[in-house]
Amino acid sequence: MTTVDERARELTPPSTPALRLRGISKRYGPVVAADNVDLDVNRGEIHGLLGENGAGKSTLMKILLGLVQRDSGTIMRGDTPVDVHDPQDAVALGIGMVHQHFSLIDALTVWENVILGDTGRIDRAAACRQVEEVSRRYGLPIDPTARVERLSAGERQRVELIKCLRRDPSVLILDEPTSVLTQAESAELFTVLRHVVRAENRAVILISHKLAEITAATDQVTVLRKGKVVFHSATSETTPPELARQMVGRDVSLRAEGAALGMLPVDGPVPSGEPPAEPPPETPAESAAASSDAAPATTGTAPALRLRDLTVVIDGVTVLSDLSLDVAPGEIVGLYGVEGNGQSTLGDLLSGLILPSSGAVELAGRPVELERPGALHRAGLGIIPEDRHSSGVVLDMSVAENLVMKSIGDVSGRGFVSRRKMHAVARRLAAEFNIVAPSLDAPVRSLSGGNQQRVVLARELSAGPGVLVAAQPTHGLDVGAIEDMYRRLRDAASGGVAVLLISTELEEVMALASRIAVICSGRITGVLPAAEATAERLGMLVGGVAA
Amino acid sequence: MSAADNISTILSSGIRLTVPLAFAACGEYLAERAGTMNISLEAMMLGAAFGSVATASATGSATAGLVAGVLIGLLIGLVHGNLAHRLEVNTFVVGLVLNALVLGLTSYLITISSFDSHQVSQVSVPWLRDIPLIGHPLFVERWPVYLLLLVVPLTWWLVERSRWGLELRAVGEQPQAADVTGIRVNLRRRQALLWCGALAGLGGAYLAVGEVGSFNQNMTAGRGYIVIAAVIFGAWRLGRTLLGCVLFGLADAMRLALPALGLTMNSQLLVVAPYLLALVAMLVFTTRNREPKSLGQPFVRGST
Ligand SMILES: Nc1ncnc2c1ncn2[C@@H]1O[C@H](COP(=O)(O)OP(=O)(O)OP(=O)(O)O)[C@@H](O)[C@H]1O
Ligand SMILES: [Mg+2]
Repeated sequence: MTTVDERARELTPPSTPALRLRGISKRYGPVVAADNVDLDVNRGEIHGLLGENGAGKSTLMKILLGLVQRDSGTIMRGDTPVDVHDPQDAVALGIGMVHQHFSLIDALTVWENVILGDTGRIDRAAACRQVEEVSRRYGLPIDPTARVERLSAGERQRVELIKCLRRDPSVLILDEPTSVLTQAESAELFTVLRHVVRAENRAVILISHKLAEITAATDQVTVLRKGKVVFHSATSETTPPELARQMVGRDVSLRAEGAALGMLPVDGPVPSGEPPAEPPPETPAESAAASSDAAPATTGTAPALRLRDLTVVIDGVTVLSDLSLDVAPGEIVGLYGVEGNGQSTLGDLLSGLILPSSGAVELAGRPVELERPGALHRAGLGIIPEDRHSSGVVLDMSVAENLVMKSIGDVSGRGFVSRRKMHAVARRLAAEFNIVAPSLDAPVRSLSGGNQQRVVLARELSAGPGVLVAAQPTHGLDVGAIEDMYRRLRDAASGGVAVLLISTELEEVMALASRIAVICSGRITGVLPAAEATAERLGMLVGGVAA
Repeated sequence: MSAADNISTILSSGIRLTVPLAFAACGEYLAERAGTMNISLEAMMLGAAFGSVATASATGSATAGLVAGVLIGLLIGLVHGNLAHRLEVNTFVVGLVLNALVLGLTSYLITISSFDSHQVSQVSVPWLRDIPLIGHPLFVERWPVYLLLLVVPLTWWLVERSRWGLELRAVGEQPQAADVTGIRVNLRRRQALLWCGALAGLGGAYLAVGEVGSFNQNMTAGRGYIVIAAVIFGAWRLGRTLLGCVLFGLADAMRLALPALGLTMNSQLLVVAPYLLALVAMLVFTTRNREPKSLGQPFVRGST
């Protein structure tokens, strides 16, 4: 594995296509996931791929990887057509991919994951050395002997990258790599990618919903809509609004663009006293927010959600320590912090997946018996889990079943599920939340990543919870859907729901929350009313410095 | 007989009753780590028991019988794997059908044929066999017993240290992710089933041409299921799994020894007692398990 640099130098000069797609098409029943797609991917360039949820980006990449068989079209490496029937072929061709939903085996260690798919004897010491070497070369620090299930999303991403880069790919595909990363981690990723294309002359395909990233990081950009290439340009010759328009096929609102750009929404950025974004005017949300701003802990009404001195110890490591937080009805409280500081543990706890070592969760003033499965749900807590892929949906059950899963009582009579009622409910939700699915009976697995998210959102929001916990609710959503999500969370709050927004994105908490609690190393380092929350103050709290 | 003699006798027969289970357990353990719940273990053991006796009788060699047993186990593993993976028939259904088929077939064949009795030879380790109490039970055994000393560490090494085992574990945990990485999930699972078949066959053959010397109808009597239970309650760890097998073997030995010790009990109750005891003990001692994640839904495979 020391040959990477030498080999890179032998490679052809920049801007010769490493990979050419010609007329690639793929249908899933009535759904056209790829429609006669032409795409050139050049060495030494980052090629951005944009498109709404379900536009066919992942499908196209899976075809390149041999995970999905195309109906027609040719894949060419240089000028020679090649066949990619399975992932082994892709590896042989030097195509590596970091998947939208990570493809690591949780129960294995980092080095085991990295060498998975190789051949030959296992040499643990050599494998660890290689991991360390690749990790040093690209500046992706990781402990090779750590178990993957213990790693944060950012660290997993590093492992995926190391796994790919160790195989010295000529084409590296990244499917929404930043949707689970913090800003710092994204920056780190782009540094690596720049090195990979500039110094090592590889080709990179980058899928992202964040226009700011695409404009900042890519050289070429292609937009897909409903499986078709609708736009292609050198990145320097286009603008974010143009890209947004091409994606959606119409002009998009400024706010939506702002969100998609990963920038603060235009009507409420920041530091100076003004709340970043008001909830819709004349709503109870505002008054609740105002009162809690004044004296968060001592408001007269009982908080809808109260976390009291929650401590969670996993394998001797204190992941949450004495975490206390109140959320009043009609209030959106943002829990902001860098990934891996206990947010996912809190999410697991509020999903009922783990129990605290000490402390309590109170809903509407009453402690919840956490030992009882489903107690939180019954007490009126809805949750949009962070990892929707593994704990939000049952991938092999149908869209309709997933949509009604938590309210199965409403669609059944005399102990039987009424398919008619189930479909009626599912149809309504699918329409309301713009879920694009081949059919309501299709397994959730067959939906695009963003549409899988929408299934979870639809189910949790429609259950009419008194408290809604939303962990990274906009991850993987496209421009329009993010805007829609924000609107729904605001509506929920103004309807009296207590919303706890767990997010690693500063713009998101600043745009939505009326109070912002900052979490660092499993403890709350400070709670600020949104009006007083500046990027600097939050930054200090995030770093563990009390404000 | 002295108390020490009694204990020694019970230990001896306990160990002999454990051996077939231990072989099969090594196989089932590996298959389950790869994500296949191999219900046809019973068929593998029973078929191998019958095949070994028939072969031993035909060739006059008990060792040939053992080999035949292994081959029959492999064959059943092959059939199971192909039905379950290539034809995508539910693995539980395949297992139950194979079990019923082999039970019926061997029960019928034994009524229409008669076999000579053959048994593999005994090895007795000098010096060590003279250790009081445990010397005789541990060091005077039919030779295949000593194969366990090879099979157990080998199984552990394969699963925990070899590349093949790494891929098996990956496949047992997250087949989709393994597939994306370029591992042929179903091929690995079929290979694991073959390993399982060979060892279950060895176990079944040992029971027939090692211990008993003949075949009787349904002679495995649900031991395959006991082994499956042992793997589950052993929390997918080889050591604990084998412990469960020893427990069952000892309980079974107690059952056989009770009448000789002058204790009488309802005979039906006696027969189920070891099963009950093993189950209860395994339930009590089981800890939070480390079930291979895809074992819960072993047949859902989204690999393309
Ligand atoms: N296995 C499948 N069976 C049926 N339809 C499928 C399957 N896989 C994908 N599709 C459909 O193909 C379309 C394109 O999906 P794809 O996953 O490529 O979208 P995407 O552009 O990656 O979207 P996102 O941004 O949400 O990840 C979607 O409408 C999806 O429902
Ligand atoms: Mg996708």
